[in-house]
Amino acid sequence: MSTTWTQKHKPQTLNEIVGNSEAKQQLLNWLKSWSKGIPKKRAALLHGPPGVGKTVTIETLAKELKMDLIEKNASDYRTAEAIKRFAGLASQYNTLFGGKRLILLDEVDGIAGREDRGGVKELTKILKTTKSPIVLTANDAYNPRFSTIRKYCAVVPFKKPTIREGVSHLKRICAKEGIDADEEALKFIVERAGRDVRSAVNDLQAMAQGKTRLVKDDVAWLAGRDRKEEIFDVIRTIMYSKDSWEAKKAASNADVDPDMLFNWIYENAPYHLTDPSDLVKAMDSLALADIYRQRIRDTQNWGLLRYVIDFMTAGVAAARQQSKTGGWIPFRFPEKIRMLSTTKGERALRFGIGTKVWKRCHISATRSSKEVLPYLKIIFQNNPEMAAGLASWLELDDEMIEYLAGDKKQTKAIIAKLE
Amino acid sequence: MSYEMWAEKYRPKSLKEIINQKEIVERLSSFAQSKNVPHCIFAGPPGTGKTTAALCLARDLYGKGYREHLMELNASDERGIKIVRETVKTFARTRSIGEIPFKILILDEADNMTSDAQQALRRTMERFTETCRFIMIANYSGKIIEPLQSRCAPFRFSYMRKEDQDRYLQNIIEKEDIKILDEGYDAIFEVSQGDLRRATNTLQAAASMGKVIDADTVYSVTGRANPEDIGQMIKTAMKGDFLGARKMLRDMIMKYGVAGSDIIKQIHTAVFRSKLPDSWKVTLSEAVGEADFRVVQGADVEVQLSALLARFTEAGQELSRGG
Repeated sequence: MSTTWTQKHKPQTLNEIVGNSEAKQQLLNWLKSWSKGIPKKRAALLHGPPGVGKTVTIETLAKELKMDLIEKNASDYRTAEAIKRFAGLASQYNTLFGGKRLILLDEVDGIAGREDRGGVKELTKILKTTKSPIVLTANDAYNPRFSTIRKYCAVVPFKKPTIREGVSHLKRICAKEGIDADEEALKFIVERAGRDVRSAVNDLQAMAQGKTRLVKDDVAWLAGRDRKEEIFDVIRTIMYSKDSWEAKKAASNADVDPDMLFNWIYENAPYHLTDPSDLVKAMDSLALADIYRQRIRDTQNWGLLRYVIDFMTAGVAAARQQSKTGGWIPFRFPEKIRMLSTTKGERALRFGIGTKVWKRCHISATRSSKEVLPYLKIIFQNNPEMAAGLASWLELDDEMIEYLAGDKKQTKAIIAKLE
Repeated sequence: MSYEMWAEKYRPKSLKEIINQKEIVERLSSFAQSKNVPHCIFAGPPGTGKTTAALCLARDLYGKGYREHLMELNASDERGIKIVRETVKTFARTRSIGEIPFKILILDEADNMTSDAQQALRRTMERFTETCRFIMIANYSGKIIEPLQSRCAPFRFSYMRKEDQDRYLQNIIEKEDIKILDEGYDAIFEVSQGDLRRATNTLQAAASMGKVIDADTVYSVTGRANPEDIGQMIKTAMKGDFLGARKMLRDMIMKYGVAGSDIIKQIHTAVFRSKLPDSWKVTLSEAVGEADFRVVQGADVEVQLSALLARFTEAGQELSRGG
């Protein structure tokens, strides 16, 4: 399983983090001031919307200033009890081996509304006395619960980067991945993600992984109000909900084209339902959904759509019995749709040859492109003379001849015989 | 050697030339003689002479200028209700000039028409019976709606017997001056299974190699007609790499345009040639058969076959546990 691009392409230097240059400078100055003794504010409170680089800025600063970063997640400091446990960490400036410490308490929003009020009190105590710098991050610093905490912190606001800054971040990733991406496509991704850089990178990965070129058309499906989030939400519910009814409801409430949704589920289910027996159940359910899709096509009876939805949502959700959960697996853009566009030219060419055969042979273009074409290929690759005869009898053009012949040399040999 | 598609060049021109389907040919000849033809359904597997019989009937009926009285439509290229409303109606309602007052409309691959289009056809057929007779060609008559079936005389075409196929191929071999061993005939029959178009295409592709045609030549031709190895795909699935197997399947379908029915046929053969325990062979064949049926009914090849691949993955896991 490949890693996520947000991990793989995490900024390594302060310069690689887009936007928020003021905030970065302010933090840098504050951390440096610790070398001249403990400053007035022993903690900093970073606040701003998700995905704008709060955590990564701290991680990078720690690296650049050669400090030991001690990261605590929301769950580690929810209660007074838990906070006391790491209070000791903050009691000294230097680590056992003389390094400097930086303590990061991520997403402290969690603490504010939680059951244990003692937590805030306990935390405030630590902020007042700490000998190591503590950084807190939050989405909303002005939550009333934070009022005491705020007093002891340098408040550092983080803003959303501009679209141009967001695009430049995606460009850096594209360059590393060897993807030639249109500016317009990237701009579109950043805009759709609401300038949330993390979310934009995830989207980029979903759209572009494995490609060498990314154009506006590839990402245009993101258009429409929050379609991507809606699709992702539905898939997430389907893959991980224990309640099949909930999965079905999620799909019914989402304003997503059922065919599009089907392709997303079909693409992603095997990545999440990895146990073979679960997989069989999920794929069987999707196969049943597909049968109802075809019945709708045949009869135009759209009332049958409810069964398509049942099988592709509740059916797939109910398949999970043994598969392990855990680990973040990114959602992938349906390969089928991607291949439809990448193989478009080839399919058109094959159909073109099929049409030529159809004109001569009383067999439909669709069928000849599947059933006759393979034999033509063999003839064209082995016998230039017979190939030339067939080419003129079927009135094939040069492009078709080259497709059947497989390479330039053989194509030349055939065309030579034609003249 | 001549440089046309032999399947076309050696297609019989008159009902008299058709070597198999004796009863059908007899009845059709009597239609031609009495200069009256009912609406017909020709049903049967591919390569058994349905289209040929329809074309021969038209030629025997109208003579040389038969093309003026005939229209051929392919439901799989132009399926849908619009074609019935426009093309078919325009053709059907105008009276034919000449001795025979009706024209013939051949609707090939009619089982690919939506049921709406078929419903629309039903009225057209009735209204214009005087001026137009329909010959509907289908692999599966079951996919033609009941009201249409009841308006048509049914003809069931069956697979070629080996003697008939050999005789037909022999004629081509003599005319084209190619050399073939007896085992070549056997091999062609094995791979074509009585589908004469496939047999003729195989023969022509084998002949293009420019050697005496033996069994190996024939097998290599059919092997190369399907670029990806089905066996490898199954192995990958059974090893537990479902995603890898699904990718191979996709490439086969989307990149190389291999027909779903061909993939299924080969999976079926591979299951029975494999070293799996018999009980597993039966279980898996049931799944193969179900997928085959569904694809024939018009379901999505990739979706149905990847459900099948998941079964192989499951089987692989059970077997490795000694199950």
